[in-house]
Amino acid sequence: MQSIQAIDISQLQPEKKETPVDQAGKDFSAIIDDMVTNVEQQQEKADMAVQELHAGNAKNLHEVMIAMEQADISLRFMVQVRNKALEAYQEIMRMQV
Amino acid sequence: MDIFTTFKVAASALEAQRIRLDTISSNIANVETTSTPEGGPYKKKSVYFESTPVSFDQHLQDSIDKNIKGVKVARILEDDSPPKKVYNPSHPDADKDGYVAMPNVNMLKEMTDMMSATRSYEANTTTIKSAKRMALKALEIGR
Repeated sequence: MQSIQAIDISQLQPEKKETPVDQAGKDFSAIIDDMVTNVEQQQEKADMAVQELHAGNAKNLHEVMIAMEQADISLRFMVQVRNKALEAYQEIMRMQV
Repeated sequence: MDIFTTFKVAASALEAQRIRLDTISSNIANVETTSTPEGGPYKKKSVYFESTPVSFDQHLQDSIDKNIKGVKVARILEDDSPPKKVYNPSHPDADKDGYVAMPNVNMLKEMTDMMSATRSYEANTTTIKSAKRMALKALEIGR
């Protein structure tokens, strides 16, 4: 006669899966993170270009100006994305439950 | 192709025009130079442009991007037209007949070239401004 084996309880419990909400949350934060990193890189690039110019190492003035413009546009874009995200969040918070 | 492609193209043109202006300033500075390390008077120099692919990340380019070309200075060549002969026997570079070989630089031509370079530079900065204005207009869509 075989003895009854103890069943490992953990096997019965459903595996903790990532819900779509979790994934979406992670993706969104990843997107924002990427964006901020990208904007920061652009700003650093512009800063470096300005420093090079002051040190007399820059070959062209226009390259510095263009780096600054790119940083400017990237920053404005990030601000717009942030505005949109905040707007959506506030819209959801205003929802009557 | 990203929104910064215009910037890259215009930047290449700005650099090319700046090199052109450097060459013109060299020509104007040496308008009366009668002796050079190579011997003989200074020879007028001109730039020649060639188109060049914009982006450095070749494999990331799409087909539209491949047709957009920047510009670069291909080479700077000397003008081999004969020098102007001016009679001036007291000049140290005068030949035995008293004639001095002056550079083949035409001041009027250099001035018009300079204006052309400046205007091209301006045109390319305007392109950059337009590209920026378009990008900012696109950002206004969300407002």
